Amino acid sequence: MIGFDLTEELLSHQKMAREFAEKEIIPYAAELDRRPGTVFDWNIVRRFAKTGLLGLNVPKEYGGLGVDMLTAVIVAEEIGTACLGIMSAAAGNWLATTCLKHVGTENQKRRYFPMCCGENAGLAALALTEHDAGSDMAGIKTLATRKGDHYILNGAKTFITNAGIANFYIVFATSDPQKRHGGLSAFIVDGDSPGLTLGTVEDKLGLRSSQVGTLIFKDVKVPAENLLGAENTGFLIAMQTLDMSRPCLGGAAVGVSRAAYEIALSYARERKQYGRPIIENQGISFMLADMATEIEAARLLTWKAAWLIDQGMDSTKASSMCKVFATEMAESICSRAIQILGAHGYTSYWPVEKYYRDAKAMAIYEGTNQIQRMIIASML
Amino acid sequence: MIYKNIGQRIQKAREEAGLSQEELATKLGLTQAALSNYELGKRRLYLANIEQIARELNKPLNYFLEDTVETIKTNEKKAQDETILEISKLLSELPLEERKNILEYIQWRKEKLK
Ligand SMILES: Cc1cc2nc3c(=O)[nH]c(=O)nc-3n(C[C@H](O)[C@H](O)[C@H](O)COP(=O)(O)OP(=O)(O)OC[C@H]3O[C@@H](n4cnc5c(N)ncnc54)[C@H](O)[C@@H]3O)c2cc1C
Repeated sequence: MIGFDLTEELLSHQKMAREFAEKEIIPYAAELDRRPGTVFDWNIVRRFAKTGLLGLNVPKEYGGLGVDMLTAVIVAEEIGTACLGIMSAAAGNWLATTCLKHVGTENQKRRYFPMCCGENAGLAALALTEHDAGSDMAGIKTLATRKGDHYILNGAKTFITNAGIANFYIVFATSDPQKRHGGLSAFIVDGDSPGLTLGTVEDKLGLRSSQVGTLIFKDVKVPAENLLGAENTGFLIAMQTLDMSRPCLGGAAVGVSRAAYEIALSYARERKQYGRPIIENQGISFMLADMATEIEAARLLTWKAAWLIDQGMDSTKASSMCKVFATEMAESICSRAIQILGAHGYTSYWPVEKYYRDAKAMAIYEGTNQIQRMIIASML
Repeated sequence: MIYKNIGQRIQKAREEAGLSQEELATKLGLTQAALSNYELGKRRLYLANIEQIARELNKPLNYFLEDTVETIKTNEKKAQDETILEISKLLSELPLEERKNILEYIQWRKEKLK
């Protein structure tokens, strides 16, 4: 298998993503990061929709780009170089469509995939987290009660990316909180369902162009045919979905690290102190050498996890490893890039302080890095 | 971890049904190597795969999934038991007077939590 040349097809997706990032994300990233308040900018969705990226992993027969995981990771890296905040809107879709792709019935796919595809594509989201159930997913209290040919959902989901702006949500609820892991089920809930409302929208340190908020369910009626998989299989569905989405998060972390590193490198070559470019000091050039090495290592880890997924193999450990390694690297590389730029790096004139704020979130969402370590440790 | 547990359950159920890997694989339309990888937890098992296997082996779906949940539960229990073990170990090393103080403290905490 060993061989790192990208195929023509991979290269063409990489090029498409790179051009999209340059033309349709970078010009807006700083402005959206600094806007006051939390109003979502719908132009983000329109721009993504034009390229089909909201349906990146939706199979072609349902109108998506239908790429495999390795391609998705390569696309994620390119978009990650531009803005992790803007990217979050699309990443919310990728989470939801990954889930639907693997457990959805034909009817569910026919109905919901097109909402993420084509020129009019909109957003989707995956809703797991609750006030009392963050890392401990088994603590979910949102209740799903079967009534005839419907389920009735009651509860609240917190910190949901694309909350309030998605066409549909994949929601994890329990038939009985006492059953913990064994009582969880996953449902597709239409964004315009009566009784579903948007609560607080979070004002965040980074990812400021991404809408993250609370979803409140008050007697929300969900047709029984919108149950994903079977009753009480929600835990497996959630684990699998997250396992398969983590390599993209790794890819995005490699992307933001690359962007920070490239700025630091060219700055270190230009900036002169004591009569010579600062890169001529080993203190600086070794920092850059480490950054370049780590980026390469993280990229290979994410590719390996993606490759395992594409082979249909268990990727749990590799996915968690790439998530931990790449996201912690991203935070640390952004921090070192700021250091190399000195005071300039600490100002909003340069994008590295924004990269740093954005990158921090990645160690928290899709399972905190402590939880990833628990997964890795359980598989040693 | 999850796949390993489910895989072990598949092996157990297959053996109980008196089927070889080859026989079950044929029924499932898989190669023997693929089924072997499932049983070893090396291949990703989708819900649909597990449902198909459950049907072939005449077991409820939960037979394969509950194991995963059980393992998590026992791990949680184990963690609790370990704290209790640790407490009693440390307690036994203390003089009687100290042990009585701690007992009183625990009773007071318990009262408060009521
Ligand atoms: C920007 C952003 C976007 C998000 N988007 C979504 C989304 O779209 N959908 C969704 O469902 N959720 C989303 N989340 C929520 C995210 O998944 C949770 O924040 C995360 O799972 C952690 O839960 P928590 O914040 O409640 O932390 P807690 O679980 O309360 O953890 C607090 C701290 O304790 C640590 N900890 C907890 N348990 C253990 C343990 N056993 N051992 C060691 N350390 C432990 C954690 O690692 C963490 O450092 C998002 C979060 C953010 C910040």
